[in-house]
Amino acid sequence: MRAVDKMRMSVQSLLKRRLRTVLTILGVVIGIAAIVIMMALGEGMNRASMDMIEQYGGIRTVTVREGNNNAQTGTDGGKKGGDPLALKLSDETVEMIRGMEHVELASPVLEFQAVIKSGQYEASVWGGQGMELSALRDKNWKFKDGDFPKEGEPLKFIYGNQVLMDFRNSKTNQGYYDTGVMPDIDLMNSTLFTIFDTDAYYQSKNSSGAQLPEEIGEGEAPAAQPKKYIIPTAGVLQGGEDDYYEYSWSVYCDIEALKNQLKKVYKNKPIPGQPVKTNGSPYKKLYYNSIYVKVDEIDNVQPLQQMLSDMGYQADSDAEWISQMQEQSRAQQAMLGGIGAVALLVAAIGIANTMMMSIYERTKEIGVMKVLGCDLKDIRDLFLIEAAFIGFVGGVLGIGMSYGVCAIINAISKAQTAIIPLWLDPAALAFAVFVGMAAGFMPSKRAMALSPLAAIRNE
Amino acid sequence: MAEGNHTVIRAKDVYKIFRLGQEKVRALNGVSLQIGVGEFVAIVGTSGSGKSTLLNMLAGLDKPTRGEIVIAGRHIEKMNEAGLVKFRREHVGFIFQSYNLLPQFDAVENVALPLSFRGVSREVRNAQAVEALKLVGLEKYLKHHPMEMSGGQQQRVGIARALVLKPEIIFADEPTGNLDSKTTKDILKLMWRLVWEEKQTLVMVTHDNKIAGYADRQIRILDGKIVADHYK
Repeated sequence: MRAVDKMRMSVQSLLKRRLRTVLTILGVVIGIAAIVIMMALGEGMNRASMDMIEQYGGIRTVTVREGNNNAQTGTDGGKKGGDPLALKLSDETVEMIRGMEHVELASPVLEFQAVIKSGQYEASVWGGQGMELSALRDKNWKFKDGDFPKEGEPLKFIYGNQVLMDFRNSKTNQGYYDTGVMPDIDLMNSTLFTIFDTDAYYQSKNSSGAQLPEEIGEGEAPAAQPKKYIIPTAGVLQGGEDDYYEYSWSVYCDIEALKNQLKKVYKNKPIPGQPVKTNGSPYKKLYYNSIYVKVDEIDNVQPLQQMLSDMGYQADSDAEWISQMQEQSRAQQAMLGGIGAVALLVAAIGIANTMMMSIYERTKEIGVMKVLGCDLKDIRDLFLIEAAFIGFVGGVLGIGMSYGVCAIINAISKAQTAIIPLWLDPAALAFAVFVGMAAGFMPSKRAMALSPLAAIRNE
Repeated sequence: MAEGNHTVIRAKDVYKIFRLGQEKVRALNGVSLQIGVGEFVAIVGTSGSGKSTLLNMLAGLDKPTRGEIVIAGRHIEKMNEAGLVKFRREHVGFIFQSYNLLPQFDAVENVALPLSFRGVSREVRNAQAVEALKLVGLEKYLKHHPMEMSGGQQQRVGIARALVLKPEIIFADEPTGNLDSKTTKDILKLMWRLVWEEKQTLVMVTHDNKIAGYADRQIRILDGKIVADHYK
């Protein structure tokens, strides 16, 4: 028999038993919709947790810190164990990591501390970070005001959305947490004075009381005022006072500009946080606090992390936490899918039942077809096509229904609670057809085995 | 037994034994016969005589317990079920007592059905079906569904369905069993005409001597054995 004829015949027999066909299809519609909606809910949860991870920092990021020298006394301990600089992070280390496989981007991170003053307000910045512009741009930040600093510009700061809350009124010694009032500073446009040599600043503050002279001369007493610099603001990052992001409390800047600035500030004195020689003088090159590494794919995060740890560095990433989280959401999805699967199982039994009934009813018809020479395989195909057709129509309507229900859920929850990923449409449809055919398989075998003699029995 | 080119059916020592509990029932008890091309044969017998069983054997619907059956040059007692289906599709037409038309199809589609099993395209098979329906005088009922036709008309559709294949042989199982006497006469005349005009071989099973009288040859069967075989 031609495929077209088989299709036509199957559809015709379905149309002949319209009510039963509609009811059977309805079962499949509900079953498929149940599965798709459940999976859409799972996907919604999954995306929500992924967004959260993204907010807390990149999911493909590895942070490398200097290794502990004592840990390196193993095989070549004699050589490296004695060198206190072996596992510190220098430009060479950055280059080495850049050369590693799967590394998309590696930038040194130089931390600095500063006191920032504006009028009567001042704030201490502890973990300010200088990074390469490419790494800053990589972080997908959104600015409330301004933008990234430009290549080669003198030092400019990017402020996190909650840094403003750190400013205290130096007269009343009260801040946001005491008063509940946001300090009245326009970070973008007002003049901000920055003191890098915070040790000297606090010393002088303690020794000379609250009053500070505006300018200081050079070579004065140890308690002398450190120099203030005007550092313009490049931008302020997006977020309200209650929105916490990875960047919220920090100040960021271009590492090249920062290095130049720090050299200017400290001249030949050691920069705080940098290692010093035994005689107290600084090394020629700078060492970094950490290296920001971006990996090409999430699956490569943990291997790279392991490799760097094996080299003696401290390497951290969110990979473990993320994989735990992913596993959790997978389990949730599986559970939700399972609930839907029960509904579909019931529908499949419905299909099998309908097909069995249909075969008992059509015993004579099948017999006639056999007497007239219809191939056994064709008879089997006719029933399989009927069952597949029920699955197909049920699948299409079920997917349509899922979109409707998901839209309602999202409208009610005012969020993307249920998301139907694109791959789910063809997958659900294929699954519906498969379930239909699987349910129709046994009945179709039964039809094939029916005796042609049934046709000539006269009731 | 002489076997010429004109022989279309040859059965030799055919036995069919059913088991009913401990008992063995010999539905066919050594039947041998030959039927030539273009013959109109009636197999006559009472209920339980084995005539229907014989028809089932000859039409390849059932297999004999013993013996051989050669139809159109093919031994059908050795075929498996798939082989029998293929054999029927290619060589046999069948007319049923209760017509057995498919209710969802109209007359043309019902007649074209066996052609669709052969993989004939819709256009070709519908044209052939219309021709066959004209032969049985139903050119005005092409688009009628079985429910909209009388018993006689339905049986004409059934006959057209058997004819459309141009099979080597047509079997008819009590073809007038559900019809009144006038319609019975019409149908039998039609069959007789077709045998002559189309040179069609037709084997009919009936319990009615009067109906058997329309055939060229009557084979009388009793208790699974042929007891008489004579031409008109």
